[in-house]
Amino acid sequence: MLLELSEEHKEHLAFLPQVDSAVVAEFGRIAVEFLRRGTNPKIYEGAARKLNVSSDTVQHGVEGLTYLLTESSKLMISELDFQDSVFVLGFPEELNKLLLQLYLDNRKEIRTILSELAPSLPSYHNLEWRLDVQLASRSLRQQIKPAVTIKLHLNQNGDHNTRVLQTDPATLLHLVQQLEQALEEMKTNHCRRVVRNIK
Amino acid sequence: MELSESVQKGFQMLADPGSFDSNAFTLLLRAAFQSLLDAQADEAVLDHPDLKHIDPVVLKHCHAAAATYILEAGKHRADKSTLSTYLEDCKFDRERIELFCTEYQNNKNSLEILLGSIGRSLPHITDVSWRLEYQIKTNQLHKMHRPAYLVTLSIQVFIDKSYPIMKCDLVGKLKDASKSLERATQL
Repeated sequence: MLLELSEEHKEHLAFLPQVDSAVVAEFGRIAVEFLRRGTNPKIYEGAARKLNVSSDTVQHGVEGLTYLLTESSKLMISELDFQDSVFVLGFPEELNKLLLQLYLDNRKEIRTILSELAPSLPSYHNLEWRLDVQLASRSLRQQIKPAVTIKLHLNQNGDHNTRVLQTDPATLLHLVQQLEQALEEMKTNHCRRVVRNIK
Repeated sequence: MELSESVQKGFQMLADPGSFDSNAFTLLLRAAFQSLLDAQADEAVLDHPDLKHIDPVVLKHCHAAAATYILEAGKHRADKSTLSTYLEDCKFDRERIELFCTEYQNNKNSLEILLGSIGRSLPHITDVSWRLEYQIKTNQLHKMHRPAYLVTLSIQVFIDKSYPIMKCDLVGKLKDASKSLERATQL
């Protein structure tokens, strides 16, 4: 699958062959850093002064590069497809190689960042448990009531959340049994076939 | 067990065959247990024809006294001898003491369950349901190709709520907890 680059995008990228490889590599580093932490316009101004161009040009260059990298990572295009997509820009061979290297080096991390953008439910992070026995309460003395207290650590969109819950031993065994069955499902022929055939 | 004067007075009236004949006594006793243990019981529990001849104020007083005593006895897990001693002090005759102890014995389990369920506790997990899905793509990321589990724990607070969560190592940890539980029960 080839990437479709718009005219505007191609214009922005046209800045890249005008500077050295070291600068392009630096732009690549800035692009990934911006994906990780967010943009910082001051960087554009510094670079613009050093290269003697307008800060807009630098910004477009970096943004074009960012978009190229994120689209390629999102679609998980092959090396060959990436090379062919970039070929239409008419860049020198050395620049093409550099861009490919940037893609391959950063693809995994970019995909991780992108996966955090998806709508997500709270996801399991950790579980702490404790066995308690209730001996008495205000309304009933001399009890022996075992309970398992659970602290469930969850993650959602980077936020850490904890919930404290309780259950009795019988329900705990039931939970374990049900969830083990759930795990077993992945090993069935049906699921294996689905996983094998969706590529 | 600390019981108020009001309870004691109520019981003294209950002991008196002049105020409560055998039949009335039995009915009132059963009504007291019923009010406490039967979720659908209401004021009509005292509306029995054989209790009509008794002054309603006295009836309510004795009913309240009996109910209070039953709860206190249940709370402290009173045994037959404790019950007998107190009832003797209230001038109950042998027959009424026996009747009270029998009724108490019959209702003891329900009473303890009721008392044990009172009180604040953490949200209690009652059930789990799960869904296995295979994630193919999102609008941000294509070719994901990974399985995911969606786990919902059913929880009873005072109303039923469900918290959906995704599972990874949840089973491992829950298994550790249940193994420790088994070991603890064997000690």
